[in-house]
Amino acid sequence: MNLIRRISFLMSQDRQRRELAEEMRLHRELRARQLRGHGLEHGEASQTATRLFGNETLLKEKANDMWGWNWLEDLGRDWRQTGRMLAANRGFAAIAILTLALGIGANTGIFTVTNALLLQSLPVAEPQQLYRVNTTRMPDGAGNTGNSRTSFSDYVFDHLRGHSAVLSSLVAYVPLGSNKISVRAGTLPEEVSADMVSGNFFSGLGVKAACGRILSAEDEAAHTPFAEVSYQYAGLRFGEPCAAIGKPMNIKGVPFTIVGVAASNFKGVERNPTDVWIPFQVRPELNAWGSAGKDYYSSSPNWWCMLMMARLKSGVSKAAAEAALNPPFQRAAYEPLGGKPRQGERPVRLSLVPARGIDGSASLKQPLLIVQVMVGLLLVIACGNVLVLLSVRNASRAREFCVRLALGGSTGRLIRQLLAESVVLVFAATALGLVFAVSATRALSRWAELDIAATPDGTVLWFTLLISVAAALAFGVGPAFSASRVAIADSIKNSAATAHRDRGRVTAGNILTAVQLALCLVLLTGTGLLVRTLQNLQHVNVGFPTGGLLVFGISPQIQDQGKAEAFYRDLIVKLRAVPQVRSVTLMGNRIASGWSNNTDAYVDGQTPKNVDDTMLRWNDVGPDFFTTLGIPLLAGRDFNEADTSASGPVAIVNRTFVKHFLHGQNALGHTASFTGRKAFSIVGVVEDSKYSGVEEDPQSMAWFPYTQVGYSRTLHVELRTAGPAMAALPAVRKAVAEFAPDLALLQPRTQQAEFDRSISTEILLARLSTAFAVLAVILVTIGLYGTISYSVKRRTTEVGIRLALGAERGSVVWMILRSGILLSLLGLAIGMPLVFVSSRFLASLLYGVTPLDPLSIAGAALGILAVAVLATGIPARRAAAIDPLTALRYE
Amino acid sequence: MRQEIPQGTLDMLILRVLSSRGSLHGFEIANQIQAISEDVLRVEEGSLYPALQRMLMKGWVTAEWGKTAENRRARYYQLSKAGSRQLADEMSRYTQVSAAIGRILNLA
Repeated sequence: MNLIRRISFLMSQDRQRRELAEEMRLHRELRARQLRGHGLEHGEASQTATRLFGNETLLKEKANDMWGWNWLEDLGRDWRQTGRMLAANRGFAAIAILTLALGIGANTGIFTVTNALLLQSLPVAEPQQLYRVNTTRMPDGAGNTGNSRTSFSDYVFDHLRGHSAVLSSLVAYVPLGSNKISVRAGTLPEEVSADMVSGNFFSGLGVKAACGRILSAEDEAAHTPFAEVSYQYAGLRFGEPCAAIGKPMNIKGVPFTIVGVAASNFKGVERNPTDVWIPFQVRPELNAWGSAGKDYYSSSPNWWCMLMMARLKSGVSKAAAEAALNPPFQRAAYEPLGGKPRQGERPVRLSLVPARGIDGSASLKQPLLIVQVMVGLLLVIACGNVLVLLSVRNASRAREFCVRLALGGSTGRLIRQLLAESVVLVFAATALGLVFAVSATRALSRWAELDIAATPDGTVLWFTLLISVAAALAFGVGPAFSASRVAIADSIKNSAATAHRDRGRVTAGNILTAVQLALCLVLLTGTGLLVRTLQNLQHVNVGFPTGGLLVFGISPQIQDQGKAEAFYRDLIVKLRAVPQVRSVTLMGNRIASGWSNNTDAYVDGQTPKNVDDTMLRWNDVGPDFFTTLGIPLLAGRDFNEADTSASGPVAIVNRTFVKHFLHGQNALGHTASFTGRKAFSIVGVVEDSKYSGVEEDPQSMAWFPYTQVGYSRTLHVELRTAGPAMAALPAVRKAVAEFAPDLALLQPRTQQAEFDRSISTEILLARLSTAFAVLAVILVTIGLYGTISYSVKRRTTEVGIRLALGAERGSVVWMILRSGILLSLLGLAIGMPLVFVSSRFLASLLYGVTPLDPLSIAGAALGILAVAVLATGIPARRAAAIDPLTALRYE
Repeated sequence: MRQEIPQGTLDMLILRVLSSRGSLHGFEIANQIQAISEDVLRVEEGSLYPALQRMLMKGWVTAEWGKTAENRRARYYQLSKAGSRQLADEMSRYTQVSAAIGRILNLA
């Protein structure tokens, strides 16, 4: 009841004030009239009435305070005053807000990506119950496709899925290709990511259908030709997502019907969004990973190729589930291999990893952490700047504060006022920062080629709120306390000439600036290291000229090996006829894609003895492979059209192979193989070149004709073109379309772009850190400039006296310059130990440069000195231009 | 000689005056307190108004605007039900306390 009356009072406050004033006036007038009735004179009567009444203003305040709203009024007054203050100092406010917004925006943007990649839960029901299933490795004797840590056999999946004591459900999925695959819904073929999944995939994960239905256990049991598509894909392909239901869809040439569209926020469980899901199939075109092997995932119990996710029963802990699942897991793992681990083999173990973030992002963890630390430093520098700005401004407001304190204003009120100012600054900056963050995230996703929808969620907003509140407190409380400590008497009677009084604050300001310089040094050194790493990587000789090389994948749906060979032979002829194309070849694994075949080497029929590393990397390739790429032939010949499935098996090996396995003998005439069952005669030796990526060390390698190793369903076509590679793409596309109208060109790129992709993390890191370093330098320059300008302003009188007494202008410049240089030296002293610690943290990401690279460190230190001279030079010149007379009259 | 009204009893006095005289405006309340106490108790006149605002907030009195005999606008205060209860409470507490104090002072 009280509250209702209080609120209605608040609503009608103006009227209430008027009424109270009217009531009081009436009271005084009636009293005055009464006094006049007692014989007082007119003037005396009203004076007495007023005196009897008491302090009307105070009483009005007291009456108003009775309603308990005074705190609100004070607050409103603080805000209004803050608004006036900031409006009067628009330049200051704009710089402070912009600086902070940059810092907050960059931090939020980076954190959004970190969050999406590493922290965010999947958009499913009860995500905390969901785990990815990992294994230590695959058992000896088994085969694997995909990451060996996350791959399981169908046999293992079948034996674990019924384990209902701890599992609420176990789902399995496997990509239909190591890359995107070709589907056709409508007239044109296109590339999509598609998975083959267990029937409980959607129900087990807890994903509903946006329209239609989700795939079911019956779909898996009967291997039905029904497909589920993602909301995004359906929207893109059919305009209206739900229009997808019932539409036919050809997946690698096999007809399917779309029966469901998954919930709009579900984009699959892999790093890149999944477009299409089909139930497990048993037909050669739709094998796991697009494999062309004669075995299917389901018929070969030792092929570890499927990924699994587990939903635990509620109340079951991760440890309990692991303990319960490991015995049946080990039984199922070794049963098809004779029942037990080999001599000396440590049995495989299964573990559960919370399904957070995006799978396969583990390699981005460290780079992201580094970027996060960098933007963190940037924010600290930005905060430092605003602090310097604020304390400079508060110092010039010292008189205002003193007057307020002297007139009886409370310290609490003063602090609250300053806090209000910083809160306004910080929250304006946060709002602006969030806008920056959205564009920063978008830019970052594009740079990183992350096909993710990284949007700020609750976690991100909490993160931003946290750093904002921390900033607001730092800005408000710090200066407020120093402001409330100003010595009143001193300040009112005096001003700038007496430098001693605020020595404490200036020293604090100097240390702040030095710390900023130190952090800037850390950022500059890190940037130097990352940029030099990138330069080194970009100048790595990959073993052949990449200019003019164009590569694309192609996946003809042909079962028969003879027909497939004919297809590729004709395709090569067709492509050679394109005017811009000089030479054409094929390969199973695209160079620099990160994929490679790794097996034990067989040389002259057996695994080489007396070498510590028997691993052989190999690739299956087409005719003219080395001629097309431009890899120098050291001995023997290149592959040609005569190397077919019918001709004798041949191989070409590289220099390292010869050195490592043949001890430098003449290799021609020896045999090389990836299996003990088939020997390939070495007919050529070539110079070393890069295979899986730029950072690779020289490896023992062998190449075999694609016709002789069992054919892959997807081959990559490499073209040497005359002129820029991308310029040839339209003509190439046209030639392929005329030859095979149903086939899409898979991921057409220049070979150089493919190599760049293999160092995309390094490119991203170098670019981001450069951007941050530039920002840091700008901020630090502004901060230092502010500090020095302020001290010059404070020392105007002193400089005037010095000049009047005959000091050279040059010595004045030096005096100011020296303070800047001393500050930067202090910064270097603080920063160097930090550099030593932090560059070690970068070590694993560097290439061809040591963490304590003298050039990077010296460059950064010089940069800091340059910043100091630049930021100090302008105020120093201004000081030298001071007119002694004006300066002395200045007080 | 005039006495300042003891702290905290102003509320009680206002309520008491309103309970016997019905509807009064501020000046009348002040005058009534003085008149009834035969000019011994003097309200520090202005302090009446914060007290009245507090009682409005508590809901012990209600107020409405009306006209005085001289046809001037004035705010008239009336006792509410809650106000009567409050008055009864305060009076019984006051009586108890003053009786106790009286007994102590009257000790032979």
